[in-house]
Amino acid sequence: MTTVMSKSVSAPGKSIIEKLNVFTAVALGAISAIVVWRLSLAFLPQDADSALIFSREDKITLLSMCAWFVGFMTGIGALVGPFRWLMGKDLSHEENMFLAGKDMGPKRYFRYTTDHKVVGIQYLFITILIFFLGGTLAMLIRTNLGTPEGGWLHAQAYNSIVGTHGILMIVGTIIMVTGPFGNFIMPIMIGARDMAFPRLNALSFWLIVAAAIPLLWGQFIGGITTGWSAYNPLASQAPLGMDGYIMYICIFAISTMVAGANITTTVVKMRAKGMTWNRTPIFIYGTVASVALALPAFPVFFLSQVLSAFDRALGTSFYNTKLGGSGWLYENLFWLMGHPEVYVILIPSLAALMEMAPVFTRRPLFSFNVAIMGIAGISGLSVLVWAHHMYISGWAPLLNAPFMLTTELISIPTGMLFLVLIGTLWRGRLWMTMPLMSIFALLWNFMIGGITGIYLSDVPADGFLHGSMYVTAHFHYTLMGAGLTGALASLVYWFPKMTGRMFDKTLSWISFWMVQIGFNVAFVGMFMVGLAGQPRRVESYAPTFNTANMVTTAGAYIIMIGMLVLLYGVISSARSGVKAPKNPWQAKTLEWTVDYPIPLENFDVLPTVTSDPYGYGKAQS
Amino acid sequence: MSVETHAHHEHPDVVGSRNRLGVILLLVADIAFALSMMFVYFYLRGQNVNDMWLPAATSDHPAITPLSASPGWTVTAIAAFGLLAHFYGLKGVRAGNQTQLKLGSLVAFVASAVALVYQFNTIATAPFTFNDGAYVSCFYMFAILNFVHLALTVFISLGNWNRSRLGLYVSDHWHVDIVRVWWVWMVVSSLLGAFALSYP
Ligand code: HEM
Ligand SMILES: [Cu+2]
Repeated sequence: MTTVMSKSVSAPGKSIIEKLNVFTAVALGAISAIVVWRLSLAFLPQDADSALIFSREDKITLLSMCAWFVGFMTGIGALVGPFRWLMGKDLSHEENMFLAGKDMGPKRYFRYTTDHKVVGIQYLFITILIFFLGGTLAMLIRTNLGTPEGGWLHAQAYNSIVGTHGILMIVGTIIMVTGPFGNFIMPIMIGARDMAFPRLNALSFWLIVAAAIPLLWGQFIGGITTGWSAYNPLASQAPLGMDGYIMYICIFAISTMVAGANITTTVVKMRAKGMTWNRTPIFIYGTVASVALALPAFPVFFLSQVLSAFDRALGTSFYNTKLGGSGWLYENLFWLMGHPEVYVILIPSLAALMEMAPVFTRRPLFSFNVAIMGIAGISGLSVLVWAHHMYISGWAPLLNAPFMLTTELISIPTGMLFLVLIGTLWRGRLWMTMPLMSIFALLWNFMIGGITGIYLSDVPADGFLHGSMYVTAHFHYTLMGAGLTGALASLVYWFPKMTGRMFDKTLSWISFWMVQIGFNVAFVGMFMVGLAGQPRRVESYAPTFNTANMVTTAGAYIIMIGMLVLLYGVISSARSGVKAPKNPWQAKTLEWTVDYPIPLENFDVLPTVTSDPYGYGKAQS
Repeated sequence: MSVETHAHHEHPDVVGSRNRLGVILLLVADIAFALSMMFVYFYLRGQNVNDMWLPAATSDHPAITPLSASPGWTVTAIAAFGLLAHFYGLKGVRAGNQTQLKLGSLVAFVASAVALVYQFNTIATAPFTFNDGAYVSCFYMFAILNFVHLALTVFISLGNWNRSRLGLYVSDHWHVDIVRVWWVWMVVSSLLGAFALSYP
């Protein structure tokens, strides 16, 4: 830091760059929000008594939230780059080194730092925070559902807790692999010095921080009472808290798009010399498939929320049937994003486990090409199945059969990925680590998640199952049982590279078993009540469902303890774990060739790749 | 460590092609956004829920008639003129003619600003209130989001002109090439909106 600061640089923006950090960002965001709030209170005209839609409060809320957003991003320094470009005074070498956090120490984690390793750790931190909050809400839900009569939480609060838990966890799972590991590990794995667009990388992270505040804010102005899917017209009639959801999604969508363009460009353009496509690790494919799928999907979500905001704050009628709008329009937009999104979550986790499978079986990945075909097939089909969420909504009943077909077709590429994992494990010399155990856990959980998905894709069966706890159990088996399992394995696997220390083995095992056992207990119980007809998102239920609900709640507490053990493991191992050797797992990908601490530019000399990373011997059956 | 800091190690063509891909990928997202808007328009138009696409006259409200499509086409034409001017500047810099670059990018900037003002005016003088039915909602959707697009274009073309003026594109000019990609998409997206609004 001192070396950089003491250099006298003529460029005028330099001093600004040095002053900005998360505190200036919060301050500027808060001041802007308060100023705009007061101004709009003072100057926005009252709704006329005869108005069809009362929208003044929504205008004030949304304007204040936008002001927060603009203030925060300005305060963190996101606009410095664009304005310097505009003025024709591009950032100098020293300034870029400063932005990359050169010699800055821990302070760089609180700034608009461009080093991909810093961004990776920042993402890890915010992912843990999101899961901590979302998990706390889950425990509130399960505690309330411990007894049939409910009432432990106020019903309105309960609804908001369900919706907030849902959308927090969706965002958490979307970023849980491509955020921490896609940023920290991926560039090193492909032999690059950084991401293609380091400033955009910082942007995508800080946008998520900026988005979090409206969501929290929303909790205090009525909450998010619609569930995570925020169906209209329910959402347009919901309290002001809905505006927090809208802002959260819009800002998060921008973050996703920026990250998607950045990660894809990095992989396409910056792989090491000799890293041809068939020598590129499978994790890289998974990461790119995920972000590239999100790239066209999230704008649809974005638009759906912009129109929601228009309906609420301007009184337009995109979703208001009385004035010519349509709730089905919202459902289509939402699920056009929503289904691809579940694979945005799943694919990188699966790919990470496919990356680990050869390492812990000491065998090549069983059919690299089938793995890629599987990933491509899933990505391609995933945009053609969205209406399986709308079978009984009454929208286009004639299309139910075709959508049933496309949905069931997805099982084929999904099955390919199963075969790749099983084929790699088959007769391998298994090295029983927590990541390897996670592969078994994924196979088990995703088998249940996938097969229940096939039941749900069956139109007559879904007529009974839709809207029940069965759906909730299905998607927890996929998102948590498969997705989160892969992310936790990634954490243990790459922990040595990210912190220089090994993750405590005992703690990783204890937490693994508690989470997996608790998980299966909890969600088998949920399948049972779902099959018996308990609707989802209810605050109280008929006494006949009581036993299985108590089982689920007990399972949830086991998960919670397992997760707390894991959290303790993260903290204690990062502070005082065993120092990790350079390549503790004897893996062959490039990230294991660099020493800890990893230098700012990762490699002194960029590596050249001469073979694929799975050369552990011949694949024999 | 950022790539820009490495720019002096890397050939401008490498940096340029990387940036170009990045912009194209961001445009994929923007295109998805624009296509969703088309979907919204034609979905609501096709459904005509409660006959409220263009509400008929009632006792206290005259019938809603669609706005003439010409403002949509006019703003597109102004933007297209900006695109041509940018093209002209780009051709200039490719031929090593800095004056032509400066002129072209200045005209492009002015065109974007004019289009922005014109688009604002269309919104401000529209003879509707927001709750005049689904067509009117869609009109505002296209007009407001095109306005946002144009505002971005003003920023970009101002920067492009300013940088040309300062002589930053003497040794390499990939920025100017990429700005063209944006301009092309700006015009196409505006055209999509004008096209939709021509079929009320
Ligand atoms: C890749 C893993 C998967 C994930 C992450 C996933 C996720 C989800 C989510 C989040 C929902 C519920 C949305 C809601 O209503 O709130 C859902 C519902 C559904 N899933 Fe999956 N799913 C996966 C795999 C599958 C598979 C393989 C199939 C079919 C073969 C499938 C079929 C369905 C169907 C038909 C529904 C709609 C059920 C209803 O609402 O009635 N899913 N899934
Ligand atoms: Cu789906």
